[in-house]
Order: sequence, then C-alpha cells, then structure tokens
Amino acid sequence: MILAVTVAVLVTGGVYLTLQRSMVRAVFGMTMISHAANFMLLASGVSAWRGEPIDGRTDVSLAADPLPQAFVLTAIVITLAVTIFMLSTAVFGHDDDQYRLPETGEER
Amino acid sequence: MPIVLTIGVLTALVILTPVVTSLLGHRSGWVLAGGYLLATVSFLPAVTAAVAGSPLEWTMSWIPGLDVELAFRADGIGVVFTLIALLIGAVVLAYSVGYLERGRQLSFYWLMATFTLAMTGLVLTDDLFVLFLCWEATSLASFLLIARSGTTAEAPSMRTLLLTFLGGLTLLTAIAGIVVVTGTARISEALTSPAWDGANPALVSTIAVLVAVSAMTKSAQFPFHSWLPDAMAAATPVSAYLHAAAVVKAGVFLLIRFSPAFSAVPAWNGLLIVAGLVTTAIGGWFALTQTDIKKLMAYSTVSQLGLITAAIGVGTEAAMIAAVLHVIAHALFKSGLFMMVGVVDHLAHIRDVGRIPRLIGRAPVSFAVTVLGCASMAGIPPLLGFVSKESVFTGLLDSPGGAWAGWAALVAGAAGSVLTFAYCAKLVFGAFVDGPALRDEDRTGNDGPHGEAPQLGPQSPVMLVFAALPILASVPLAFMLPQLERLVVPAVTAALPGTEPAPHLALWHGVTPELVATFAILALGIVIIVARAGVWRFFDRAVLPFDGADVISAIEQGLIRPARALMDFTTPVRAARHVVPGLAMLALVILGGVGAIVEGPGLPQPQEGLNRPIDAVLLALITLAVLVACFARSRMTAIVALSAVGILATVQIMSLGAPDVTLTQLLVEAMTIIIMMLVLQKLPRTFWKYPRRFQLKRGAFALVIGVSMGTATWALAGRRERSDLAMYYLEQAPEISGGSNIVNTILVEFRALDTLGELTVLGMAGIAIVAVMSSVRDRYIDPPAEDVPEVPRTPYVKLGHASSQRAVFVSWPNVIPIQLTVRRLIPILAITSAIVFWRGHNEPGGGFIAALIGSAVIGLLYMSTTTDRAIGPPQAPVGLIGGGVLTAVLTGAVGLMAAGSFLEPLHGQFLGQHFTTSMLFDVGVYLAVLGLMLISFNLLGTSDSAFTPAGNDVLVDGQMLRDVVDVTPESTRERVDEMVYGEMTGPMESVRGERPPWWNRSGRIRKQRVGARTASMSRGRESEEDGS
Repeated sequence: MILAVTVAVLVTGGVYLTLQRSMVRAVFGMTMISHAANFMLLASGVSAWRGEPIDGRTDVSLAADPLPQAFVLTAIVITLAVTIFMLSTAVFGHDDDQYRLPETGEER
Repeated sequence: MPIVLTIGVLTALVILTPVVTSLLGHRSGWVLAGGYLLATVSFLPAVTAAVAGSPLEWTMSWIPGLDVELAFRADGIGVVFTLIALLIGAVVLAYSVGYLERGRQLSFYWLMATFTLAMTGLVLTDDLFVLFLCWEATSLASFLLIARSGTTAEAPSMRTLLLTFLGGLTLLTAIAGIVVVTGTARISEALTSPAWDGANPALVSTIAVLVAVSAMTKSAQFPFHSWLPDAMAAATPVSAYLHAAAVVKAGVFLLIRFSPAFSAVPAWNGLLIVAGLVTTAIGGWFALTQTDIKKLMAYSTVSQLGLITAAIGVGTEAAMIAAVLHVIAHALFKSGLFMMVGVVDHLAHIRDVGRIPRLIGRAPVSFAVTVLGCASMAGIPPLLGFVSKESVFTGLLDSPGGAWAGWAALVAGAAGSVLTFAYCAKLVFGAFVDGPALRDEDRTGNDGPHGEAPQLGPQSPVMLVFAALPILASVPLAFMLPQLERLVVPAVTAALPGTEPAPHLALWHGVTPELVATFAILALGIVIIVARAGVWRFFDRAVLPFDGADVISAIEQGLIRPARALMDFTTPVRAARHVVPGLAMLALVILGGVGAIVEGPGLPQPQEGLNRPIDAVLLALITLAVLVACFARSRMTAIVALSAVGILATVQIMSLGAPDVTLTQLLVEAMTIIIMMLVLQKLPRTFWKYPRRFQLKRGAFALVIGVSMGTATWALAGRRERSDLAMYYLEQAPEISGGSNIVNTILVEFRALDTLGELTVLGMAGIAIVAVMSSVRDRYIDPPAEDVPEVPRTPYVKLGHASSQRAVFVSWPNVIPIQLTVRRLIPILAITSAIVFWRGHNEPGGGFIAALIGSAVIGLLYMSTTTDRAIGPPQAPVGLIGGGVLTAVLTGAVGLMAAGSFLEPLHGQFLGQHFTTSMLFDVGVYLAVLGLMLISFNLLGTSDSAFTPAGNDVLVDGQMLRDVVDVTPESTRERVDEMVYGEMTGPMESVRGERPPWWNRSGRIRKQRVGARTASMSRGRESEEDGS
C-alpha cells in the first residue's frame, strides 16, 4: 500500500522538524504531520473505492466513503487555525529560536 | 410563589445591574437597595408561613438525569438568614452610594447583586447540589469583591480563595456522603432521615466533621480564621455586608441547617465547642493587638462568630436559641460598626489607632452611634447584644460532658467577652477620643500649614445615616423580645426537629450565673477603660511574630518547592522533552501491537486495487519535497518546499476521490503560505545550524516514528469492505438532506455539531491570538530595530542603473501590476465565492471553501499596497468571529425550537429554489473564517522588522543598510489593542487591563485603511499612496 509509505515519509519529516528548536520549523513539522494524519483518515475509508461521493455523479458501487472525507475537511480547518496560532507566537521578539544555552556550542 | 418572586427579583437585579450602572453610575446603589426591599416585601408571606409552622415550598425540575431540582423551602432558618441578607444588603448598598467614588462601579454592584442572589439561594434551597453551587458562588463573589480592590488585594484574595474553596471541597465530599447514607438530595428529607440511626457511626462522624470544617472555613473559625482579616483589603461596604452579615454567616447557617442530623454526634459537639471557644479567645486577643480599626473589626467578627459556633456545637434548645439570636444581633451591630469604620476612614483618611485625630468634637453623631454599636457588641444592658450574649452564656452552661464542662465553657466565653469589651473600648477611644487634637484650620477645611493633625475629609450624610440604621434598629428590638421570639422559634424548631423551644428572652431574669458573668465583664471592662493606655501598650507588645496569612504563605511556599522540582522535569525549554516520550510510547504500542497481530491471528487480506500509479508518482515527489523542507538552511527554500508538499498532498487527496477536501486543502495551502511569508519577514533569513550528531539523533528517532505510523496505516487500513455507515450515507443521505454533495451534507446536517465545534476552534484561535498578543508588551513583540544590529550586506541583485535599482527595491512601482489585477479580480472572486457558497449543497463547495475564496480577496488587497496597512475597520475581525459563532448557534437553536433537535435543518421551497437553514449555518462558517483571516493578515503583517528591511532598506555605496529612523506607522501591539478597543494613536505599553492615562475610546482618530486605490494608476496619474 503506497499511501502507507507516503504517511511514513511525511511523519518522518514532520517529527524531525518538530524536534528542531526553531518555532517556525516546528510549525512546518506539524503541517507535515497533519497531512499524514489526513491521509491516514482517508485511508481508513479504504482507498480501493475512489469515486467522488456525489449523488448522481458517481455510481454507489464506486464511490468513496464520505465520512472520513468530512472528518478530514474538519481536520484541515483546525490545522489552519492551529498553524496560524503557532505562527503568531513565532514572531515574538523577531527570533523564533527557543532558549539556547551558551555551552551547547551551536552556531548560527 | 413568594419564594419565586424573591428569587426572581434578585435574578432580575443581577441581569439589570449592567444597564443600571451605565445609567446611574455609583448611584446605582439606590436602585439595588430598592430592589432588595422589593424582594423582602415579596418574601413576607413566606415569613408568615414559616412563623406559622408551615414553610412554603417551590420546586422546579432542573437536571432530571441527575435528580437535581431547583427546590426551595423557606423554613425558619432560611427565613431568618434571608431577611438578614436582604435587609442588611439594602442598607449597605444605600451606604455604598455615599462611599464609592464617582464612576460606573459595575464590578462592585454586579458582584454584590450576584452575591445576594447566591446567598439567598443558599439559605432557601432544599437541594444539596443547589446548596453546594450557591455555596461556591458566594465564595467566588467574595473572592472577586476582594480581588477587585487592586494589586494590594491580590495576595489576600488568593489566600481567601484557597481557604474558602478548601471548605467547598469538604462540603462536596460531605454532600456525597449524605446522599450515599440517605439516598436523597432533598435537604429536608436527608437531614431527618431514619437512615442516620442505622449508619456506621464512624461515617456519620466523618460527614459531620466535614460539614463542620466547611462551615469553619466560611465563618473564619480557628485555624481557618486568617482569611477574614485578609479580606479587609476589600472596600468597606463589602466588609460590612459580606464579612459581617452574609458570607461569614453562611458558615453559621450551614451548621444550623445540618444540626438536625448532627447535633447529637459527639465529634460535631466537641469540635464546634472547642473551635468556637478557642476562636473567641484568639479572635478577641488579636483584635486587641491591631492598630488598624478595620482589621480590629475583622478579628472581632472572628471572635463573635466563635461564640455562635460554640453555641451551635452545644446543640441544646437554649443554645440554639442563643445562636440564632446572636446571629441577628451580630448582623445588626457588626455591619453598622463596619460602616462606621468607613465613615471614620472617609473623615480622617486613616484607620490607625493613635493617628486618627480626636473626632469626638467634629463628628459627635458618629461617635454616639459607634458607642451604641460597641455597647451592644460588648453586651451592655439593655441592648440587644446583652440579651443575645446572656442567652449564649445560658446555652454554654448546657455543654455536654457534665457540669464542669458547662462551667468551663461559660468561663471561657466570659473571658472572650472581656476581650470583646476591651477591643470595643479600643475602637471607641482610639477612633474618637484619644487621638491627636484637631486644629482650628482643619475644622474649617482650610489648607493650613502641615501640623500634627491631618486634614479631615467631608462627611457624607448618606453614609452616616445608613451606617447608623442597623445599630439604631437594634435598640427597639431589645424591647420587642416577644416579637423577636416568634422569628427565632421556627428557626430553632427547624434546627432541632421534634423540640418545642419555649424561650424566655428578657432583659431581666433575676440573679443568674449569666448575670454575674455580665457584671464581672462590665467591672473588668471599666478597669480596662481606666487603665487603657497601659493595656494597649501591653497588647501592642503581645503581637505574635507571624499571623495566619504568613502561615498560609509558608504552606504555599512549601508546596511550591516540590512543584518546582516537577516543573523542572517538564519545563518547556525544548519541545523535544514533551514530544519525544509520547511519540516513543506511541511507536512502541503500534510496532508491538502490529507485531503481535501478525504473529497471532494474522492480518486480514487487503482489498483489491488499493494502489494507483499516481500514488507512486506522488510518493516520489513528496519524498523529494520533504527532504528539501527538512534540510534547507534558508527559510524561504523551506517554505517553498513545504508548499510543494501541500500541493502534492492536495493532488493525492483528489486522487482519493474527495473533491471538497481537495478544494479546501488547496485554498488553505494558499492562505497558509501567504501567512507564513508574512511571519518570515520578521524572522532571521536562515535557520540555526546544529551539530550533525544532534541532527542524526533526531533523524533516527523521526524515522522510527515515521515507520511506525506507516506500519499502522498499512496494517490497520484497507483490509475490509466499505462500512455500513459509508453505505448508509451513500445510499440514504441525498434523500434525507435533499443535497447530492454527501460530504457537505454530513458537515452541515448530519454531523453539524462537529462543524460547530470546528468553527468555534477556528474562531477561538483568532481570539487567542489577540489575547496572547495583547498580554505581551510592545517592545517584546517588535523589538526596536536599533536594538538588533544587522550587518550591512550586499544586495541580492546587483543592478547598475539607478532607475533599475528603484524598480527592484522601491515598493510602489512593484505593486502596480498586482493593483491592476486586483481591480479586475475582486468582482470575479466575489462572484465565485457566492457561487461556490450557493452550490455547496449539491456540488463541491460550501461555506468554508467560499470563505477561503473570500479571504483570497483580503490577501490580494493586503499584498497590493506598498506598506503594511490594516484591512477593514479595526474591530471587524473579532466581530466577524463572534457573529459567525453566534449565527451558527442561533441556527442550531432554531432547529431545536422548530424541529426539536439542536442544529436540525429546516427545509423549504422559495422562488422555486430549495433552501435549508443549514445554509445559514454555512454563513456562520463563512464569517468566522473571514474573521480569522483578517486577524492573521492584520496582526502578522506589521512590518517593523528587526532582521529584515521590508521596504526600508537604503543602498549606500553598494551596501544595503536598514533605515532604522523610518518608524512604521503601526506596531503589532497597537493593532491588537485596536481590535479590542477601536482606533488608537499608539501601542499600549502595558499588559491587558492596565490602561494608560492617555487612552480613550474616541472615534476621532482616522487612519488610512486599505482599499483598492488603483484608479490613479489606470488613468496614468501619480500614485495617491506615499510608499517609497
């Protein structure tokens, strides 16, 4: 199942970014994890049926499960809201790096 | 019915107070006092009924599932306390008119009105749960009334809250116990239930002690007494009402109310008698050590309540009569005396004994009233205080445990009364007689040279009249004892069912031990007055090195230390500390679980045809984009890669057959990227570079999590037929909803409550941004540019000619194309948005997608100006969010009323078109999305950036320099404050709630807002904008 591999790639990238200290990178990571979560939700509707769930346009025998789609739509909206909120906290002080101890030897 | 009327009047007052205060300001006290009198009058039939022995009842179902009822029962106890709450409340609120400063005083009046409602509910209710709610409401109102007195009241109000809420918890536990034992939440049934006799004595004792502890916290009994002196930080009317007559009496009320069940429980008797007498003694002692007369009064209240508590603890008829009588007497003289303290405070501007000038000449009436009140408190005949104190002594003689216990209690009570006498003397002489003499110029109010005595303030007749009222009213009561008995007897009958108390209240009983005690007290008291200078000196030295507040603070500090250790463990310095353990556990569960399934029962066969060729293509592209996003040093590159991931994800969603989700995702992606770019301009250009070993560790961990999630998807999805639910929606939904776009009908009809939640989250994110930003000072959000040195850099593009330089680096020529585009595009987008909105029911579309298209108009408008400017009126976004949520909720309410289910859509035909109320719901969605988008653009776009020039760069000798002199017109903080308050002239350099002196709400300030100002350009004229 190829979609599972896509999920794995997105989660790997997302977790990697979330673990970074830059707030913006963490937001990027959350965005990727959200994509992955959406794919998981859609996959739960079984991706063998991929017809648009619209009455009269697609035969019922081919139509995809509409419920996960409704869930994902809701999830996308909430992702948008959360992303904007996190981004707005990243601009405080115009430097989004989290507190950095001097002895860590990190360089810019 | 009288109960309903009374509660109704009080509720109406709570609702009307905001209106009244906006009309009458600090004079609203008259209206509220009138309202309380009205409530009292409407309550009189209930009083008559209670006196006649047949209490009125009224019940309404509230939460049937939990058997909670709004049950009220005006028995003797409830009637006494209701009258105290209403009448003292009326007097105090009238007094407040004179006491308070000019202004709206909304929080004061509103909290007072709420408190009275809660207090009345507490004493009248017949349901344990309602009792608990009212109890907590009185605690909260008391806390807020203290806390509203400003920053000095912060710590005292918190200590008060801690103690009174502790009592709330014990009460809740006790209530649970009572319901378990008796099986009912009806107070009148539970307390007289025969189940108490058969119950485990240890359990009964525990419940009794819990109730007693709750009451002791509320009535400030040792060791919980310290909150009451702390509460003196509140305004004097609050102290006169809550801390003399009402909130502290709630504890006493609770004890009397629960007496039917517990008055024979030894633990109850012992605890209350001992705690009460100890409190009387230490309260009196501490009162004498005070120099602040208001704190003196607080400790005196503590001491007097101790006497009442001890009497209730004794629990005999005589003792209960004494307790009820002393409650009435104390409410009268103590609230009056508190108000007199306020009068003295207003007059002398000071409350310290020894520094208050000799007021007796200046304020003889106040002096007389104070003397009268204090005489009543000290128990001097023939005042009401004398009668009640003597009956308390009679009651104490009945103490269980043999004759010696009674005598010991009497002696302890009498000793406490000596202290009472002494502090009364301290109050009277300290405030009126012994102070430094007044000079003549102070009398006339001239601003004389600074002498010994301070300037006196004006005397308010309103304050004096209403302060004197309760004290003077108690004088005739002492001669109307038979009438008073009629009120006291039903209360005692209710507290001790099965008894027929026959009080013989009188000023003269003959020579009794109580009378001897009274005269001993008087004699000692006179000695103290004569030798008062020495006595005060003794008590000044007899101060403990710490007080109750210090003890609470020490306990608090002691608790904070281990808490800090916990906090260090979870401190949010790095997100990784929070993220890693959770994710690791998740991976463990998934990998272990899938492994176990494969080893054990094995996985079901996957469905045929799960994969399509396009999946593989998308996988390759997404992998590439993710890699770039993860490893890019430049923030810009990372964003481009991220948007590539987003677009590819959109294509993947489309290939899964979800057109609505596709459209949404595409538009969300566009909006997110624009907002990210806005944020980016304020941040460094590159990410920090970390050592490779750190990054390798992170990468390895991420890979484990990624693999586990992929495994979960592979193992748990795609291995079944379509679900019944899916088939239900596919086959039935179009018919039920009348719309063919099933996903949309699920969103707005079948699962509209989910969507309402989502819409609220969306709106709250916008509100949260405003809230968070307005709590950060301007200089921390946007640090001044000159504080952040930036190295001069070479320009990105090297251009030879000056005009080509200008074409690249000057902003206004750059926006011309987009401005011209916007002019044509806005109408098209508006129409598209409308069409998409309309067709949502049957085709891909709907409120959310339409709103995102509408937001694109905002985005384009925003980007088509040369410098950052707010779009639209400043308060519009918050209004849009509120309006959106409100529209959605109201639509739901319409469904509830018309179709019987919240959010149930109504269908109808109009002009040959099919309409449903779910479209109105969609309007709500539309408005909220628009509001959030406006907030994002207006707040995140402000561009005085420390790190990047954003139009303010100047080119000097081939080097770009940031022009820090150029100040941006509006900072982020100013924008946030404008969203709440309307136009302003600059940012508030404060946290929320502290308004700078220049702040006003005048709408005169007019700033330039974004419109599509393109007419000039299309006609070939010079720009009207001044961007350069």
